[in-house]
Amino acid sequence: MTIVNAAPAPTTRGWRGVALPAATAAGAVAAVAFVGAVDPNQAGHYPTCPFLAATGYWCPGCGSLRAIHALAHLDVATALARNPFTVLTVVGFAVAFVVWVRRRWLGQPRTYVAPAWLLYSLLAGVLAFWVLRNVPGWTWLSPA
Amino acid sequence: MSDYGTPPPPPPGGGTTPPGGATPPPAPGYNQPMGGGQPPKNYLVWAILSTILCCLPLGVASIVFAAQVNGKWASGDHAGAVASSEKAKKFAIASAVVGLIGGIIYAVFVLPNLDTSGSM
Repeated sequence: MTIVNAAPAPTTRGWRGVALPAATAAGAVAAVAFVGAVDPNQAGHYPTCPFLAATGYWCPGCGSLRAIHALAHLDVATALARNPFTVLTVVGFAVAFVVWVRRRWLGQPRTYVAPAWLLYSLLAGVLAFWVLRNVPGWTWLSPA
Repeated sequence: MSDYGTPPPPPPGGGTTPPGGATPPPAPGYNQPMGGGQPPKNYLVWAILSTILCCLPLGVASIVFAAQVNGKWASGDHAGAVASSEKAKKFAIASAVVGLIGGIIYAVFVLPNLDTSGSM
């Protein structure tokens, strides 16, 4: 019996390979432009966070629209004050996007698998952020 | 969030036995990873997006499934990784649907009767 290797998936590379990242970037730019133009600091432009409306406590995402609005106006300090996790996420997504474009351009398969502990750390970080931004004295983490 | 019926990692050197009980043809030598060795998607980007943009509980659960995908893949449990990947995908779709429906409800019912309390 011989070992049958699975045929390598047909790889797209070059301009065809980066079509999907380009579409993603276009969608992200459109979304950020919209949030930058339609101010989330004014009530009525966007729905209130359901968790905040129901409980009165901040969720990890509260302030994310205002943070993105501030980032669209290149105001990093205000963005950090509204939701620091969102700012970190934007940085992380930007790095991941560059890696993704490079891999698609070269037509390489995805081989890197982030260690599970890193993702469980992310989970723990999100849960800790959720609790801490509601603790009195930790308002620097909350949009207030 | 618990594991849903995680199969144990396959023994080293042996083939995985599907839960149905059918005996797979013995793979000589070593385990061939399924799907040509590409790790399954963990949909982590969607998990983070739904955590900060719309659907907090779904997003947090999605992060757990994303971590399961990578953990099971790294430990050699490729079938389990694929199963967790499917769950992560379902949760990503669910958050997108919930977010879309929430936005539509807001636009149809809330915007016309707007008061000026609070913002996201």
